Amino acid sequence: MEIRVEKINKVFGEAHVLRDLSFTARPGEVLGLLGPNGAGKTTTLRMVLDIIKPDEGSILFDGQPMNRRIRAAIGYLPEERGLYQRASVYDTLLYFARLKNMSRKKAQVEAVRLLDRFDMVDRMEDAIASLSKGMQQKIQLMVALIHQPSVLILDEPFFGLDPLNQDLVRKLITQARQDKKTVILSTHQLNEAENLCDEIVLINYGRTVLQGSLSAIRERYRENLIVVEAEGNLQVLKKLEGVRKFIQERGTARLYIDERIEPQEIAEQILKMVNITRLEINRPSLNDIFLEIVQESGEAGP
Amino acid sequence: MKQFLTIASWEFWRNLRSRSFFLATFVSPVIFAGFVLIAALFYNQADVEQPRVVGCVEFNTDAYCQMLAERLNRYLTRAGTAPDLILVKIQPDTSAELAGYYQQLAELKSKHDSLDQAYNKIKQRRNYIFRQAPSRKRERLLRETYEQLHKTREERDLTEIEYNRMKAVADSLMRQALLQKADSLLMDQVIEGYLVIDPDYFVSGRVEFHSLLPISFLRIDPIRQVLQMMILEQRLQAEGITESKIQEWLRPVEILKFEVQGSQRREFNFMVSYLAPVIVVLFLFTSIFTSSGFLFNGVLSEKTNRVIELLLSSVSHLQLLAGKIVGLGCLGLFQILIWIGLTYLLTVGQVIHPDQVDFLTLRNAGLFVWYFALGYLFYASIFVGVGSLFSDPEDAHHLNQFMRILSILPVALALVVVVYPNALFVRILSFIPFLTPTIMILRTPIVDVPLLDYLLSSGVMVVSFLINIWLGGRLFRIGSLMYGKKPSWKTVFQLMRAG
Repeated sequence: MEIRVEKINKVFGEAHVLRDLSFTARPGEVLGLLGPNGAGKTTTLRMVLDIIKPDEGSILFDGQPMNRRIRAAIGYLPEERGLYQRASVYDTLLYFARLKNMSRKKAQVEAVRLLDRFDMVDRMEDAIASLSKGMQQKIQLMVALIHQPSVLILDEPFFGLDPLNQDLVRKLITQARQDKKTVILSTHQLNEAENLCDEIVLINYGRTVLQGSLSAIRERYRENLIVVEAEGNLQVLKKLEGVRKFIQERGTARLYIDERIEPQEIAEQILKMVNITRLEINRPSLNDIFLEIVQESGEAGP
Repeated sequence: MKQFLTIASWEFWRNLRSRSFFLATFVSPVIFAGFVLIAALFYNQADVEQPRVVGCVEFNTDAYCQMLAERLNRYLTRAGTAPDLILVKIQPDTSAELAGYYQQLAELKSKHDSLDQAYNKIKQRRNYIFRQAPSRKRERLLRETYEQLHKTREERDLTEIEYNRMKAVADSLMRQALLQKADSLLMDQVIEGYLVIDPDYFVSGRVEFHSLLPISFLRIDPIRQVLQMMILEQRLQAEGITESKIQEWLRPVEILKFEVQGSQRREFNFMVSYLAPVIVVLFLFTSIFTSSGFLFNGVLSEKTNRVIELLLSSVSHLQLLAGKIVGLGCLGLFQILIWIGLTYLLTVGQVIHPDQVDFLTLRNAGLFVWYFALGYLFYASIFVGVGSLFSDPEDAHHLNQFMRILSILPVALALVVVVYPNALFVRILSFIPFLTPTIMILRTPIVDVPLLDYLLSSGVMVVSFLINIWLGGRLFRIGSLMYGKKPSWKTVFQLMRAG
């Protein structure tokens, strides 16, 4: 299911929380909704889920506005997690499955299947409160998946998870992409997004600051920098053709290359000239790009 | 519709299995019944096995206390029950000083009597001498007896003066001793209070009653009635009316009390007419607040647990709200059905006398359930809005407690309502939404409530509920996703406008 968000705006009191935000999430792709805390990511997701309405703009699912069928096709993992503490694991799964319009019988089958997949069948009659935090997080994931949604909306899915569960979530996202599901992943951990997303929408104070496919963004913000650590005289590298700026600090040299020259070519020459211990063609991280954009635009506040 | 039913069913079963529901449905009524039973046992013990004792103090009157005690006993046993009030005459602790006074008084009295006797004898003798033929001896005897008579009379009069003086002192000391004794008995809780009958009681018609307990003043009516009868008899006798006529005129009237309710009438019963509606109100309020309390706590904990966001991603806020209200409303109705079933079983088992629950007709039961539903919807719609505004359970519970106190306050008006169920003031109170369920439930079994009152009060409740749920829904929609700071009044109004 394609989700098309068109120029949505939201104002709470005097705060303009979102301004003209637009993006499209496609099946088989993971769209990363990125930004620091307070950027407006959760508000955007709540509007996609029709929990709150945008003041302006539209959100369409395969060209249709939100309806009961679409709502039932979405699996949601909220940032703020919690479950009914006194209810049993099995009852909780059934209840949320039934809320997604699943028949009782199908919900029962799917609940057991999921519990088995997450290795928790023996805990199905236990109260949620009696489970460890990690197990409760697994139940939360199961609640988002039980109705086999075609859209997965994950709000800060790695938040508060132990490394094992973090890995589980990564696998789930990868699997969802393979299964041609539409995945919207909201996170402030840009390194996670870098590894998982196909497309990103980077927002800050409700405005889009960067948008597009990850490869295109990397290309756009490529910084032709080569870092070399080597034994011997590094000054020889200064004379290489295409090096526009050379900085040496003890055994480390930073070579800024002309934009028209591929760093790969220069790297090959360096290998022939000095006995290197480290050679790095620097690719700016999303974090670096985000910081650079924010600094360039001078955006310190809304 | 399917999701709405799923939510209603979830809320119903989840809370039905909770400890709170069990406590509110079974334990609270048992505790309540226990208190009533203890109070009843105490009341019976106090009134039947240990009758109240009232003292009687009299000064220079001839056994009025004794007479009053006998008449009171006859008056109280007339109803066929053992007297619950006993009157005893207070006897003083005589001090040595008082005993000395009374010794002297007795001596003076005896001296006075013997002088009086001697005086009369001398007078008789003089009459006899006077009737004799004149002679020197007669003259001499007349002169001698005149001197004796004069001397004896003077001595007798002086003794009488001395006697009266001493009697005044002794009486004063006696009064003091009697009142001291009565007070000490009162302090030692031997008597509940005491009457003081002065000699001029039959003229003034005034008797004093002293007690420590305020309640005693409300319970001396039988004594007042018997004293009234006695004074009437005394006055009628003084007017020369014969004893048999007096007895005939003063024969007590027996009033058979019947309550008229529409075309029905039944013998008056305090339990049925006054106590039962109050008990019903207390039970219905327990039910209203069990259900709306679950709703309040549910909304609050879903917000605190952050489950609310998961729920709102699956259903609309209106479906969620309606499912919760209907599910928990059904739980409240189920609770009432349990109580009606238990009452029926207790009646069949003759633990409760059928007369005591004969107000629970099908019509009244229907009206109770109707006003429960209206009351529940009214309070639930407020609670849901308020519950969604808070994220700190402590703040919310304080507000919840305040609301409960506010809403149970109408029970304090019960006394006015059961005494004047159709008064204009009470009718006006019936149309104030916060009070409507209580007042209408109190009025229904007592009096034939005008149809207009049922229609108008129901209309007011329905309109109030619709307004509340509209506002509550708006608050819930936004408030349930607000975390952190306490909402100000300004924020609340903004949410209501924006919702």
